[in-house]
Amino acid sequence: MKAIPAKETRKLLFTPIIENNPIALQILGICSALAVTVKMDVTLIMCIALTSVITLSNFFISLIRHYIPDSIRIIVQMTIISSLVIIVDELLKAYAYEASKELSVFVGLIITNCIVMGRAEAYAMKNPPIKSMLDGFGNGLGYSFVLLVVATVREIFGNGTFFGLQVMPESYQVNNFLLLPPSSFIIIGIMIWVIRSFSKSQVEEVENPLKAHTFKPLTVKKEVQSG
Amino acid sequence: MNKLIIPLVVCIACAIIVSITAVTVRPDQNLNIANEKKVKILAAAGIQTDRVDEEFSKIKTLFVDFKTNKLVTIDPAYDHIKAASNPELSTLIPKGEDIAVLKRRENIGTLYVWVDEKNSIEKLVLPIRGYGLWGTLYGYLSLDADLNTVRGIEYYDHKETPGLGGEVDNPNWKSDWYGKRVYNDNGSVALYVTKGVSSTEYEIDGLSGATLTTNGVSNMIKYWLGENGYGPIIKNLNKEIEKI
Repeated sequence: MKAIPAKETRKLLFTPIIENNPIALQILGICSALAVTVKMDVTLIMCIALTSVITLSNFFISLIRHYIPDSIRIIVQMTIISSLVIIVDELLKAYAYEASKELSVFVGLIITNCIVMGRAEAYAMKNPPIKSMLDGFGNGLGYSFVLLVVATVREIFGNGTFFGLQVMPESYQVNNFLLLPPSSFIIIGIMIWVIRSFSKSQVEEVENPLKAHTFKPLTVKKEVQSG
Repeated sequence: MNKLIIPLVVCIACAIIVSITAVTVRPDQNLNIANEKKVKILAAAGIQTDRVDEEFSKIKTLFVDFKTNKLVTIDPAYDHIKAASNPELSTLIPKGEDIAVLKRRENIGTLYVWVDEKNSIEKLVLPIRGYGLWGTLYGYLSLDADLNTVRGIEYYDHKETPGLGGEVDNPNWKSDWYGKRVYNDNGSVALYVTKGVSSTEYEIDGLSGATLTTNGVSNMIKYWLGENGYGPIIKNLNKEIEKI
């Protein structure tokens, strides 16, 4: 096995954070980003859970990639991913019971998280194990970065606390809207805006430009109403 | 050939690893669940604390024989939920009486009481359970010293829809139970979950979009506090407790 050059390692680990973020650029895995970002401690556990699942699933899938029959590769990938998710879920129920109750179905939903499937299919099936592992870990970091920023904003301004500690003055009127899931859409939207205004290459070309005033008033026939 | 062997090997390997993990962490999970029940019993009685075991040791656990409606002394490790599924320790509920859809009721029920120095009751917690919409709701109901006024309700396990029936966990809704009365002047169970806003001391605010869940809640209150449940022992508890 050849050692991976340091430059490539850095690229695998850090490009998914800003340059190729799975949430902000690829717009994948939004579901859990909306649902589990109310409190920092719960979010952090979700990030650790997803990062460990994606790192290990990429590693194991890459390890057996030459032996997976092409026609049933998705099923084999799913088997590995869901086994890892069940293990994480069981461990959380044993050692982080409170958080696992708050995360409820969202740990189980890591199985269907597009980021995990996407990396298995797009990267781990074509690359050696260690590189796949780094790629998985990098994407986990990218996911965690977005979630932690969203959770920081939501917890500080929505609840006046950070990791459960009071940070805003007592007089601060909490913004209840930030505790509701739609608020993370807005925060993620603002994040994408900020990232794209610094890195112009992420801005997509407009596919269907609006044309100037194409509206024609309809001519409606007057119907004679009988009766 | 590869198409058969590889999936088979992957499946068996995954199954073994998952089973080993599940079995290894089971004791820790059970510890968490047992602790959770204690927290809920205390919460139903209005006690919020970090020192669960210390607070829980102040509780006296009593056992009642549903056939004679007398208090009995048995092994304190008795689990009434497990007993309910054991044919030797439970009885089939006749169809007409089974309003909470339990199928079987344990022969010996559990009561959690707080008593003062004179051995009179300060508050009481009863385990309740019954079918909602998707499955059985398991919880605790707490009564005040008069054994009629509700102190609180808590559910520790249910499968209701989050946001609709799952609102039985909503603190605002749970707070509506405080101070409500179970038995009317005739001594029969009058407390139920109404539709819309409650207007009498025997009514609890309804949960919109959760009619079947709230019907289930009403039914389990009616069953467990009624004649076939804890009803008879509640009425005699102050006399019975002196005999223990």
